[in-house]
Amino acid sequence: MTVLSLGADRDLRPDAFVARANPVAKLVVALLVSLTLLLTVDVVTAGVALALEAAVLPWCGLSAAGLLRRGWIVVAGAVPAGLVTTWLGVDSGEVLLAVGPVTVTQGSLLAGCAITLRILSVGLPGVVLLATTDPTDLADALAQVARLPHRFVLAALAAMRLFALMGSEWESLGAARRARGIGDDGVVGRARTASGQVLALLVLVIRRGTRLAMAMEARGFGAPGARTWARTSRVRRSDLGVVLAGVVIVTVATVAGILAGTWHLALT
Amino acid sequence: MAAPESPHAPARTASVPSPDRSPSDGGETARPPAGAAAPAGALTARAVVPAAVGLALAATVWAVGLPAGPSLFGSSLADLTVPTAILLALTGLWLAGWTSTTRETWRVVDIVTASVLGVAGGFLFVLWNLSWPVVSGALAAFPPASGIGVGIWLLPGVLGALVIRKPGAALYTELLAAVVSALVGNQWGFSTVWYGFLEGLGPEVLFAILLYRRFGLGASLGGGAAAGVVVGLLDTFVYYPTFSPWFKSVYIVAAITSGVVIAGVGSWALTRALARTGALSSLASGRDARRV
Repeated sequence: MTVLSLGADRDLRPDAFVARANPVAKLVVALLVSLTLLLTVDVVTAGVALALEAAVLPWCGLSAAGLLRRGWIVVAGAVPAGLVTTWLGVDSGEVLLAVGPVTVTQGSLLAGCAITLRILSVGLPGVVLLATTDPTDLADALAQVARLPHRFVLAALAAMRLFALMGSEWESLGAARRARGIGDDGVVGRARTASGQVLALLVLVIRRGTRLAMAMEARGFGAPGARTWARTSRVRRSDLGVVLAGVVIVTVATVAGILAGTWHLALT
Repeated sequence: MAAPESPHAPARTASVPSPDRSPSDGGETARPPAGAAAPAGALTARAVVPAAVGLALAATVWAVGLPAGPSLFGSSLADLTVPTAILLALTGLWLAGWTSTTRETWRVVDIVTASVLGVAGGFLFVLWNLSWPVVSGALAAFPPASGIGVGIWLLPGVLGALVIRKPGAALYTELLAAVVSALVGNQWGFSTVWYGFLEGLGPEVLFAILLYRRFGLGASLGGGAAAGVVVGLLDTFVYYPTFSPWFKSVYIVAAITSGVVIAGVGSWALTRALARTGALSSLASGRDARRV
């Protein structure tokens, strides 16, 4: 069961090696991969990382269709970013295309490819993590394995249950406003209507949050003393394997980039 | 951990947060240099030492400069002088603010309200993520101008800090909103989580420098600006590293403006309006509103 409507689980094999790993292990891999790849903008590092990630996909429990359905939006973000860079990036090398002020050179084309590959290679582990992880399991693991403050983790999980409710509340607020004749057309009018509606939504959710806090406290949430857990989150030996695989991917990709001479710190 | 004190007991509303809180809480900000202008009692060694050490280290790094010799994979360490100095100074000031707070623990109602605000912020993110292709498409003729739209993504952090008024509120609310945005799925995938963390850290540092005592319009504008700086730098680093320096500067200025206007003014106005409805009555910000 998932809190947010992440789609049906039928294209998911929950018993796959990566899918059944502890959520914290998957989170570590996603953090590691994103941090390492954001340090550099080069085709080799991002390309190798993406290829290795694609190679381990069969063990992730996500079918090609499922991956496409959940990951298309990352592609939709990666391609335009690459195109913008190709168009406007610093020109260097041979001119491949010149239309008016816009020039596409070898250098800017390469940079554009690197940007697209980088966003894809950072995004892929995240898509797998989010698609194969139940938010409840993630919260249990964050509180028990990663030892994050459990009051915050559990309150966040409780609040996430309200997310679907917020959608329907947003709609009924809009309908109520329309019934009263409030609500403008056009970009400015819609922005004005939306900002008023945000306040109404915030009032509703804060009131609900205050009641929720009272109810949780009445059942002993946040009371002093050790907390016990109904669902225990365990770390198995295979979780170590998942983390190691992540380490191997980023190491191989970075070493390949350095050997190819394309790796350079993107901060400068 | 907080004593299990019911936040809804009538006695709670009568008790004012803490005695050393300045009565002008919520007024204009003078931006005290880490404790100097703060009320008596805050100027302890715990506050002054980290600030002084951080500033001294930053000044030293700035003056001497990092050695050019050891290069980190081709890029000289000397290029990192300014970012390192800024980072050191900010860390010192942040530590000073953090350690000199009264360390009021978070009550359950603070945590749950911050969580709910974070999820509501995530809901706002999802709506804005969906409209983003249209907005950025309209600005495609001059790409750096798209920075003026980032303010919506900075709103939850500043709002969380203004409403909850606890150390860490900006960071927690913004991070949670980003996690929700990533869970639902967006164009930027997992990097949203990193973004949320850093976008929350920006205003968090600012509120810490103000010793978590100022939550008025000035502080709100500063928080929005801090978040704008962070997102401007991040975007030019992650998404537009090949922009010319001129384009990068325009983008960063646009992001800061957006942060100040949408996140700064917006959070302040929202908090005031929320306090008027009485929804914040069990929180520090609501108590303050009633006193006025």
